[in-house]
Formats: sequence, structure tokens, C-alpha cells
Amino acid sequence: MVFSSLYFLFLYLPIVLLIYYITPLKWRNLFLLVVNLVFYGWGEPVYILLMLFTIVVDYFSGLAVARCKGQGNDRGAKIAVAAALVLNLAILFFFKYWDLVATTLQHVGLNMPVLELALPIGISFYTFQTMTYPVDVYRGDAEAQRSLVNFGTFVTLFPQLIAGPIIKYKELADQMTYRTHSPEQFASGVQVFVVGLAKKVLLANNIGKLWDVYLALPTDQLTVAGAWLGVLAFSLQLYFDFSGYSDMAVGLGRMLGFEFPRNFNYPYISKSVTEFWRRWHISLGSWFREYLYIPMGGNRVQKPRLFFNLFVVWAATGIWHGASWNFLIWGLYFAVLIIAEKAFLGKVLEKLPAAVQHIYTLFLVLVSWAIFAVEDFAHMGSYLRAMFGMAPGGLTNDNAWYYFTSFLPMLIIAVAASTPLAAKLWKRLPVRAVKIVLPVLLLAGLILSTAYLVDGTYNPFLYWNF
Amino acid sequence: MSKKYCIFITALFCAFIGVFLVANAAAPDRESSEMENRVLQQLPEIDLGTPAKGFQDGNFFNGKFMRDFETYTTDQFIGRDAWVDLKARTERALGKKENNNVYFADNGTLITRFDQPKDPERVTDNLNYVNNFVENVDIPVVFSLIPTQACIWADRLPEGAPNASQTDLMAQAQGAVTGAVWADVYTPLMEHKDEDIYYRTDHHWTSLGAYYGYTGLASALGYDPVPLSDYTPTVRSTEFYGTVFSSSGVRWVSPDTITTYVPDDGITVVSHTYDNAGNPVEEQRALYVESFLSVKDKYSMFLGGNQSLGVVKNANNPDGPKLLIIRDSYADSLVPFLTAHYSEIHLIDPRYYHLSVKDYVEQNGIDQALVLYSVPNFVSDGNLFWITR
Repeated sequence: MVFSSLYFLFLYLPIVLLIYYITPLKWRNLFLLVVNLVFYGWGEPVYILLMLFTIVVDYFSGLAVARCKGQGNDRGAKIAVAAALVLNLAILFFFKYWDLVATTLQHVGLNMPVLELALPIGISFYTFQTMTYPVDVYRGDAEAQRSLVNFGTFVTLFPQLIAGPIIKYKELADQMTYRTHSPEQFASGVQVFVVGLAKKVLLANNIGKLWDVYLALPTDQLTVAGAWLGVLAFSLQLYFDFSGYSDMAVGLGRMLGFEFPRNFNYPYISKSVTEFWRRWHISLGSWFREYLYIPMGGNRVQKPRLFFNLFVVWAATGIWHGASWNFLIWGLYFAVLIIAEKAFLGKVLEKLPAAVQHIYTLFLVLVSWAIFAVEDFAHMGSYLRAMFGMAPGGLTNDNAWYYFTSFLPMLIIAVAASTPLAAKLWKRLPVRAVKIVLPVLLLAGLILSTAYLVDGTYNPFLYWNF
Repeated sequence: MSKKYCIFITALFCAFIGVFLVANAAAPDRESSEMENRVLQQLPEIDLGTPAKGFQDGNFFNGKFMRDFETYTTDQFIGRDAWVDLKARTERALGKKENNNVYFADNGTLITRFDQPKDPERVTDNLNYVNNFVENVDIPVVFSLIPTQACIWADRLPEGAPNASQTDLMAQAQGAVTGAVWADVYTPLMEHKDEDIYYRTDHHWTSLGAYYGYTGLASALGYDPVPLSDYTPTVRSTEFYGTVFSSSGVRWVSPDTITTYVPDDGITVVSHTYDNAGNPVEEQRALYVESFLSVKDKYSMFLGGNQSLGVVKNANNPDGPKLLIIRDSYADSLVPFLTAHYSEIHLIDPRYYHLSVKDYVEQNGIDQALVLYSVPNFVSDGNLFWITR
């Protein structure tokens, strides 16, 4: 199930909220577990079994870790952690990467079957989330969860199940057993949710149509202007889609009494690539830092080892985004940039005017999105060549102009919305004005989103890949 | 924010999602949408299937139930027409020049986008089928394609709007089908492009446009067209909202007028189909079926709409030749003009007619054949192989 659908908004959500709040506190997690599984199994009911398997295995691994630690058996605890991690990664590999490896090995003559299994929704997100559990218990950052229901609810929690934020167990452990529900929290959840819904339905879907035009355009018709317009559209689509989902997750979480961390912080205003990654998909970056980069020694190592660590982390970050080699290249592209910034570029940049720093960052990020968005290598090559001036269609043409003018108001709104401008203005509004404007904006967002969903032939879900 | 105010915001949100939950549950489901000209999804029933077949014979474990249910919620959403309208208006307010693949063109015209055929092989295949048909039958065959608004009224499109060339496709068709005589309907339509030769809200040509098409077919089919001034135009409806209106979501344009020119005295129309048992069934129709003027689908007034096989006979011209037309719905408004020159006009729509056309030609003493499609239909139709049988 996805949030940006009529049956979620006007059927699943009101029923879940209603029953959740009339359910006594001690039964609420059990109720959530049930509706989480409905949410998860909506597209592929069979995978509910896979989910239950994951829950049970990780639940017992956490208990085993805690028990070994209690007995002073560090080796046993480590084995339990390793077993849980291997099993989770094996499931992720099997469902997500098997076909990629099989088709690649077929090229070198190995005959491995391609399975074409449907990707369980959100598997990359919830696998990473559950893997934090045995580690956090081992590190003593969290207690082992005694209740299978509470643990199952943590793994499947529907607001962030399918598109993040990726929450570490230690961040949510206390909330699983004790959380408050208040109108203040619910109302702030409503605001964040509606902002997220509008980002996804009104901005991302709309701008996404422009990217689709350029993705589908035969490469011999590409123009320089068109290629940049297309990749600009994709960068806005992905940002609003992804951050919209994260906002909706945070909002829904608050409606149910949870507090999730923020996942995006205006990434496109960054002044360096390093800063961009501190602002983009924050929960993923923080996951890799805590559970891969630092265990490998982080930056408290010799330079060659540091660069090696960075390459490993960014290769993993890349391929996490999808079972296709272009994502690996995309990750390594960032490895190179971030190493360069660490080594010397960062110091040079700091001395340049802010405008140059912004242009530098946006340029490199836009190029990265072309690598990210075009999976076919030949196509990607043509697209990048077009961006760098070697476009078969020349600098620009009537079509590029048509799309540019058609989408100009949308582009202006979207670019403005990707900066903190609106948030700053909102804070300066007097409280009395806020009280009047807020419900008007909420209703406008809900009504327009509903209209676009009712007539929504175009409502892609970008995270099937992830 | 005070607690009271937060309760108000909470209540506002819950009321919004709750009201539509209740309203959707309470409102009766609609069979079809007249506004959109299509059948709406009904509430699907869960079928778990049987364990022996791995549950794959049901609709639940393969996800079909969920997909149908999702379509059901959007199709049956309360006030659907108003939401669709709101979205189209918002798109326009945001400076968009198209919605749902329909351009907001000048003069209150809605024009369906024409893109390069997605499947160029289909175009060559369809042209080969026409060639095969020409070789199969022993009568002269005329072939022509009708350009649509996107081609003839290209000057009404938004500036720079992507618009694939229909003339290139017509030239390709003319060059590929060597056994048939090519008739040029493009030139007369282009000459009269400032007249109301197409509907502004429907994908078809008007009777006037069909008349110019009729003049373009004249030399290839071998008749002298009746001058337009010989006819007295009759306005049939001034309230016609066509298919492009439906698909566009645009609700702010004025309706079209349907006019006819040719009187229907002495003309009979019989539609031939089969009942469920496979027995032939004859249905009496007319050149103009006026009952369609009171429903949304008013274009079906011409010959009563889609049919597998239709036979139009003109009692006033019993000795005239017999013409067979392999066609799409554009022919419906053309046929009235052709009746003057033929004793019988047989209309075959390969979407529905799957018997041997060759046999049909021989058994019915057909003298001439015409293959006539609009360009978008011809390049996308997947049923033309039936005419080779």
C-alpha cells in the first residue's frame, strides 16, 4: 500500500486511527501489528510469511544476544549478531540482487536462473532497520525486546515501512513500550503529513511527467537544454517524492504517538557534496556511518585505509538504491567527490564565493541524478553527452521550449519549495494570522491532492527499486 | 498553539478523511460515467482460489483483487466529475498547455496529442495487411488515411507543442501499398482548414469535414461529387460533448454542433451480428439514429455507432455499384455522402468482423473496395490482420 492513494487516505487511515484510539493502551501495539501486516501484504499477501519469518528470527536473535551478554559470553553474543546480520542480508540479497548477479554472470557463461521475483515492498528499508536491533542490543544501546508483539510492531511499523526514514532500534525502543498521545502531537502530525502529501502528489507527480518526457525521448532528439531540463525535473521529482514520503511518515508517526527523526534538510541548498549528503536521506547516511563506516575504523585510520573505507561505504550506499550497476557507479561517483573534498577540494571551496559553492554542488548533484535515473548504460552515455554539449538535436528546439514554458510555473514553485524560504516566512507570520491561514492551507492541500489522485493516471512509486 | 486549537486541527483532518469514508460507503456505485464515456470499475469480490493450483486461479494472491479495488476507489470516488474538473482547472491555472494527453488549443478546441507511433513495426505490418488484402481480392481497391486535428489544425496547438508528422505517415502508406489507388483527403481538408471540419471536443471529423474527404476520394473511386450547395444543412444537436472532452477532464469549453447534409429518404441500414448461439442476427438501423441525440455519445447518431458489419442500401439508386469499406468510425459520417453513388455500401470493422473478407467480396458481388482509417487509428490498430483472411 502507498500513502498517496485514495484507499489509503479515505479508507485505511480513518479506520486505523479510529480503532487505534478506541483500543486500550496495552492492546494498541498488537492492533498496529495487525494493520501493519495488512499494509505490507496489500500488494503481495504471500510476503507476509516472509515478514513473520524475519520478525521471529530477529526477535530470538536479540534474546540470544542479551542472554550471551548476561552470561559474559561475548563470543556467543557476537555469533548471534553475525547470524542475524547474515540471514537478513541473505534475504535482501536473494530478493533484490539475485537477478542482477544471475544476468551478469550469464554474460560470462555461467548459467544461473533468473527468478523475476517481485521485490517485497520496503525490503531495503525494513531490513536495514531490523539489522540495527541485534547490534544495538550487543552494544548495550538498547535492551532486548521481550515482547514479540512490540518487536513485530517495530519491524513493520507502517508509517516508515516502505520508504523510511530508516529508524534505529535504539531510537524507537522506548516508544515501543511507552509513548504519549496528545492533540498537540496529533495536530503537528497533521501538518507534516499534509505537507508531505502535497509534496508527493502536487509537486513530485507533476514535475515527474516532465522527466518522463525526457527519459522516453529517443536519444537522437535530445538537446542540451532539454537534457538539463529533464534532469532538473528528475532532481525535483525525486526530492519531493522522497522527502514527501518521509514527511508523511513523520506525520503519521506523530498521529500514532511516535516521534521519528527528520530525513531531509533542504539538500539542494548545500555548499558542498559532503554537506549535500548530510542533508539528503539523513537516516541512511547515519545508518551507514554507525553500522558500517565506524566499525571499519571510520576516519581514525591511516589515509589509504580511510579512502578504502569511504569507497566501501559509498559502493554499498549506491547499490542499496537498486539492483542495477548504474547505482554502484553513482555511489562511487560520490566516493570520489567526497574523498576529493576531504583531501583538498573542501578547503579550496571554502575560500570561494557562496554562489560558486552552490553552483559547484548543484552541478555535480544534477550530473549524479542522470547516472542514477538512466539505468541503461548506452542511454546514460548519450544523455550525459547531451548534457555536456554533444546533443544530436543541438542546443535547444521548439519542444524543449514548449516543455520549459509549460512547466515554468511548476518549476518555480518547486525550486522555491526546495529552499527554507517558505518555512522562514511561516515563522515570521504572527500567531493570529497562522491560526487563520493554517486550516485554509491544510484544506487546500487536502482538496487539491484528492483531485489529483482522483484523476491520477500518473502516480508512480519510486521505491520499488529500493 | 493552544490545546484547543490543536484539537480543532485534529478534528478538521479527521473530519475530512472521515466524511469521504462515510460518503463513499453510503453513495451508490455507478455503472458507467457518461461524462467520461467509459464503464467504471465495480467492487471486486475476493476469490482465494484453490490450494491445488497454488491459489493462482483466484484474484487475491496474485494481487488482482487489490489492483481492481484500487481502481474501484478512484472510479467510484464521490463527486468524481467535480474532482476531475478541479484538477484540469488547476493544471490550466499552473500554465499547463495540456491535460491527460489533450492540448488546450486555440478557439476552444481540444486536440488529442499525436506522438510518433510507439511500435513502428505495427505500421509496416498494417500496411502489409492492406497489400495482402489488395492481392487477395479481384476488385479495385482504394486506400486512404484521414489526418486528424493535430495535423490539419496544427496552427491551433500551443507554441512548440510536440506533434508527430501525420503527413510523413501518409506518404509512407502511399508508398508502401502499391496495389491500391491512393486517395488524397489531406489536400481538400487542408484547403478548408478554417471551416468547422472537425469537432472541437471530439476526435472525429464533422459532416462538413467528411464532405471534403468525400471530394478527395472522388477521382480514385470514380464519381463526380455532389456540390455542397445542393444540400440543405440540418442541425441535429448543439449540445455535443465528444470523446476528447471526456478524456481531457476539461469542462470549460463550449459544446459542438452536429450537422447533417444528406437526406436519408430511401436509405436503409442493416447491422449484421451473431447471437450467443452463433446464429446470424439482423438489426435495422438508419443513416441517422436520432435516439443517440439524447445521450452523451451523440456521434453514434451516424449509422447507430460501432458495428461489425453494416449494409447501407439506397433504393433511389438500385443500379449503382456496390462498395465495401474497411474502416474505423470516421466512415460513419462519410457514408451519407457516398450513398448517392452506390446501390449498396458494405461496412466492415475488423475490430469486430473476423470472417473472410475475400469470401464476403465474392459472395456479395462487391465492385470496389475502400480501406479508410484515421492516421492514429491505422498506426495503432491491432486487428487489421483479419482483412487478409
